[in-house]
Amino acid sequence: MAMKNQINPWLASNVWLLVLGMLPAFLLLAALIYFTAWAFSFSFTDLELVGRKSVNWSWVGFENYVRLWTRKGFLDALWTTVIFTFFSAIVGQSVLGFLLAGTLRTTKSNLRSFIEVAIMLGWLLPDIVAAFLWSATTSQTGLINNLIITPLGFKPVNFISEFALPVVTIANIWKGTAWSYLLFSAALDSVSREVVEAAKVDGATPFQRIWLVILPIIRPHIATNMLFITIWTFTYFPLIYALTGGGPGRQSETLAIFMYKQSFGTGKLGYGSAISVAMLLIVGALSLIYLRLLREPK
Amino acid sequence: MSDVQLTGVHKSYGNVPVLHGVDLTIKSGEFVVFVGPSGCGKSTLLRMIAGLEHITGGEVKIGGKVVNDVPSPQRGIAMVFQSYALYPHMSVYDNMAFGLKLAKTPKAEVDQRVREAARILQIEPYLDRMPKALSGGQRQRVAIGRAIVRQPKVFLFDEPLSNLDAALRGQTRVEIAKLHDTLDATMIYVTHDQVEAMTLADRIVVLNAGRIEQVGTPLELYRHPVNTFVAGFIANHTMNFVNVTPKGSSLTLPGGKTIATTNPQVAKAASLGVRPEHLGLTDVASAQFTGTIEVIEQFGEYALIHVLLADGNHLTVKLDGAPDLHLHTEVHVGLDPAVVHLFDAEGRALRSV
Repeated sequence: MAMKNQINPWLASNVWLLVLGMLPAFLLLAALIYFTAWAFSFSFTDLELVGRKSVNWSWVGFENYVRLWTRKGFLDALWTTVIFTFFSAIVGQSVLGFLLAGTLRTTKSNLRSFIEVAIMLGWLLPDIVAAFLWSATTSQTGLINNLIITPLGFKPVNFISEFALPVVTIANIWKGTAWSYLLFSAALDSVSREVVEAAKVDGATPFQRIWLVILPIIRPHIATNMLFITIWTFTYFPLIYALTGGGPGRQSETLAIFMYKQSFGTGKLGYGSAISVAMLLIVGALSLIYLRLLREPK
Repeated sequence: MSDVQLTGVHKSYGNVPVLHGVDLTIKSGEFVVFVGPSGCGKSTLLRMIAGLEHITGGEVKIGGKVVNDVPSPQRGIAMVFQSYALYPHMSVYDNMAFGLKLAKTPKAEVDQRVREAARILQIEPYLDRMPKALSGGQRQRVAIGRAIVRQPKVFLFDEPLSNLDAALRGQTRVEIAKLHDTLDATMIYVTHDQVEAMTLADRIVVLNAGRIEQVGTPLELYRHPVNTFVAGFIANHTMNFVNVTPKGSSLTLPGGKTIATTNPQVAKAASLGVRPEHLGLTDVASAQFTGTIEVIEQFGEYALIHVLLADGNHLTVKLDGAPDLHLHTEVHVGLDPAVVHLFDAEGRALRSV
């Protein structure tokens, strides 16, 4: 009892004050559980946005989940999402962010400030503005065609429709690299200079210093970064939707867009709920893998 | 051959010079300590020998070969860092084996060398542990072990004891001395702690503001410091300095008393230095100084008393045992003219030889 009072006598001595302080957290938690439960429940129904089934819906058991596997759409979108996440987040943002952090931390010039501002801008720009910029740059009459392709004597290419997924992927790399850059900059600061010098004296080449010393030391940071950017990218919606709407056809249709189209385009709320539950499970499973990586080895 | 030769070694960062031309020869098997206040360039000098800092000017030779442009691993050196710099993600064994594995040493030989080093340093029980599961002293041993397995021609130590607590520092100091005896290798050791310098070194190099002030054995430096900087820096308790005025073959001290000296350069004397251990309490008649006790530091085996003289000067006097003295009482301090040091107006020692 004495110990308890030492922590914060004023707060701990008043139970009602404690309850009041925790109320917002309880409300938030309740709302989260409510909406998750809502989505989970309706994934077993044939609820629709409009029409008869918006009122007279019925339980359909696992029908929506069976559809995920049997109907075309979900698996394609899942594959697109995996490609998009792998190349834009895990390869693009992470590797580029690390390389930038690694090379820029030793330079103390205006170039560094310039690059930092540039990559931060990508991060800070609203998704819709970024989408407009990329669309304007890569379209048939866009900057790339006007500045490079046409002057070289080639026919203008409509990148946004002919290479939809690569353009979206590159746009997302541009948009998200700042996060990885910041995280890796902080991580590299935590690596002692003397440890790297010790490796140098031990005869490690620059590549060996990175691969055998620096990367293993910042492994927890890498795992944290992966955890965040995978979750974000896997469920990322606005930039892709504003840039291509998932098209042309379904070329850039990730799960988030597929879910949106099924739920609010076609109006199948039940099916959409099943998709969101499936996404939740996939992201959850990925997170578990990363969390295992976070753990220190024996 | 593992001697180290520095010829006119310069270092500057941009336009800021840090070392102004260092000439030094370190003999094979010698234990040399670079000592000096922080910012004097001692660590920079060591890192230049290690190949971690570019050499702006001059030459560094190891074993007779110019190594200015030789990368660290090929210089035949091994370095022990202040922060130990162990690889946190590797076991003690892998920490020590890392350099050998990179050099593609046969597995059996790696194992044999690591176990030999572990035996010398008595860290065999910890070989499978991770560095963070070790105490500071154990980590320091691993760091030394990592240096030993490389069988270097020259060991470089960069303030290796400054992260240890006082007791462990004393103990490790003795172990490093033993290690030098066992390995019979050239060792260069950087420290700001003059106790480490005095106790470990065959020769001490005193650096100040990017220049060598004096090179010599610990006792040479203690007995014959070439200037007030070395005189004040070397030895456990800082030397006392008082201004003097020469008068014939004797010197007038502050307070009016005079002492006779045999120093032939007495005419140039501007200040007199005397170590606390060469001062003692005496009676009024034979005392050179009179003052009141400001502070008494009792160490048990000896005491340091800080005396404020009438003219504002301070003297530190070292007295053996635990003298029964009281603050703010008057004491008379006497010195032995045979062990005083005389310096000219520029602070250079006036040798009596």
